[in-house]
Amino acid sequence: MTIKKILIANRGEIAVRIQRSCRDLGIETVAIYSEADRNALHVRYANQAYPLGGNTPAESYLRSDLIIQIAKQSGADAIHPGFGFLSENGQFADDVKAAGLLFIGPTAAAMAIMGDKLASRAAMIEAGVPVVPGSIDAVVDADEARSQADEMGYPVMLKASAGGGGKGIRVVHTAGEVEAAFNTASGEAQSAFGDGRMYVEKFVVKPRHIEIQVLADRHGNVVHFGERECSIQRRHQKLIEEAPSPVIDEASREAMGKAAVEAATAVNYESAGTVEFLWSEGKFYFLEMNTRIQVEHGITEEVYSVDLIAEMIKIAQGDKVDHLSGRHPRGHAIEVRLNAEDPENNFMPSLGVIDNLRWPGGPGVRIDSGIYPLMEVTPYYDSMLAKLIAYGCDREQARRRMLRMLQELHVGGVKTSAGIALNVLQSAEFIEGDYDTGFLERYMEEERHHAIGDEAPDDLEEIAAIVAAMHRQRAGKRRTVSSTTNSANSWVTAARREQHTRGH
Amino acid sequence: MKYFLESKSGRTFEVEVNELADEAMSVTIDGREISADFIDVDRRGQYAAVLDWCSFAASIEEADEQHLTVNIAGESFEMTAYDERERAAQSVAGQGAPKAELIKASMPGLIISLSTEVGAVLQAGESVAVLEAMKMQNEVCCQNDGVVVEVLVAVGDNVEANQPLMRLAPPPES
Repeated sequence: MTIKKILIANRGEIAVRIQRSCRDLGIETVAIYSEADRNALHVRYANQAYPLGGNTPAESYLRSDLIIQIAKQSGADAIHPGFGFLSENGQFADDVKAAGLLFIGPTAAAMAIMGDKLASRAAMIEAGVPVVPGSIDAVVDADEARSQADEMGYPVMLKASAGGGGKGIRVVHTAGEVEAAFNTASGEAQSAFGDGRMYVEKFVVKPRHIEIQVLADRHGNVVHFGERECSIQRRHQKLIEEAPSPVIDEASREAMGKAAVEAATAVNYESAGTVEFLWSEGKFYFLEMNTRIQVEHGITEEVYSVDLIAEMIKIAQGDKVDHLSGRHPRGHAIEVRLNAEDPENNFMPSLGVIDNLRWPGGPGVRIDSGIYPLMEVTPYYDSMLAKLIAYGCDREQARRRMLRMLQELHVGGVKTSAGIALNVLQSAEFIEGDYDTGFLERYMEEERHHAIGDEAPDDLEEIAAIVAAMHRQRAGKRRTVSSTTNSANSWVTAARREQHTRGH
Repeated sequence: MKYFLESKSGRTFEVEVNELADEAMSVTIDGREISADFIDVDRRGQYAAVLDWCSFAASIEEADEQHLTVNIAGESFEMTAYDERERAAQSVAGQGAPKAELIKASMPGLIISLSTEVGAVLQAGESVAVLEAMKMQNEVCCQNDGVVVEVLVAVGDNVEANQPLMRLAPPPES
């Protein structure tokens, strides 16, 4: 069948991203929104929009029955779940199909295997895909975890079987840390996924996180689109990604691509998926497969000239992907995640009202965003505001373009990850491509992040001091003027000040 | 007017700004005179500054009048800025003794666990609670050494941003 209308069961940046591919394909879109999201871009960009009520995910974007009912009512042919929320919920995928709609994503059966770390490890071992040494079954309690860890040798990872996105995972360096780490990680997984089962895995020292993008159709064709390097991360939350990886050559790319295709084939995979590997000293180990489109899919799109969202839609229609095989990466792409968080304060989420938004432009610039001026950043949803993607003919051009983008960018009202990304991109390690998944934490601890890298002939701190003084001079003058002559303006100022205070 | 600025990294600056005719300013920094042209672009905190013929696009956010964050070319600088009068008032107030601390929630969220109790002696930076917000569990830490004198929330409580969580007294003399 041909899909004519899609309900997007998501919000923010990824909902807008999916709508854009729908526009390109001439497909109509249906948005759903919580009370907090009435003004959101994904509502304004849609052809139709339906309220879900509520604010928290449970009250809104996780209401699967209501969402399917809205899809039927709106005349949609299919539902795209985006990432997060219901995207990896097999029951939802089944319910969508039972309602006579297409689910744009993998089958519930593939999600069930890949969504369970223990089941996926077993399937990968059987398919001949290399995995990290670790427990075969879930451990019953912290004591069993400790005895397995003692046997394996420290450091080890304690992982929730249902975990993902950095939740339910702890690295443990000594036997004494096991109990506390086990309990917090298990509790986190229980509250986030309703499943607190844990297992133990050998911690691979100084690994890189390298993942392979695949597309699979329902006719048994699986195609890979090379790797993404995602090692610049903290607490398993990625900050900067690039494609290709600085350490992967054509032969390794083919080897990892082949393993990823085998992994997808082993679970009869369909749609877009990502096979994540740990890479260390030339060896790679299966970590997990994300059975959905990923945040960082855009950098693969840039270097492979492919629209992965559009391909997901076509796969759901029954189209084949074999014509996409055998492609090679061209040029280089770097992504920075713009998160509402405060790197100076342990990356705590930063809430407030987006103000003074200034986007970069020019050659090699792609911005996938869900924010707009005066948008309130609420505590209900993920802290990612937008993704900045720089494309260049080679890695250095892409890096220089990303530096330019971050220098042109301004997001007021909340603290963001832009500043720390700007500094990391100028570090010797990033320039050399010599980093691993522990890099960002070490970098933050060393407090090198105030150092100015590449080029900064000006003493910007002194300039900032001068600007601050001139601002106070002008602001003082304006306050005395506006209190008498321009009451509307002082209302705005007062409201803004209140918002700032609330944000802290 | 003379302004005394201190950056988060601890550097101090003395900047004198005098208004001339037609929006022009005369500026000296630490006694050095510079040419300054300073235009408020949008009345929302974006400025076009030309200092000694070097051009800077700057954005300013105010926490309050004295606490500013200046953003230039992607770099952020937190500054405290006092004018002459405020600085004089400050030096009269002087530096106090070790402070009691009120630990507050930095954001709205759910109290997942509390790892301390009344009477506990804490060191600066020690974790006292876990707060869940934006799908992540975040540790709440104390800023100063101290003794817990009151715990104002319980596990399972939903808290607002800036809601007090516990009260610390200064640490006992050792």
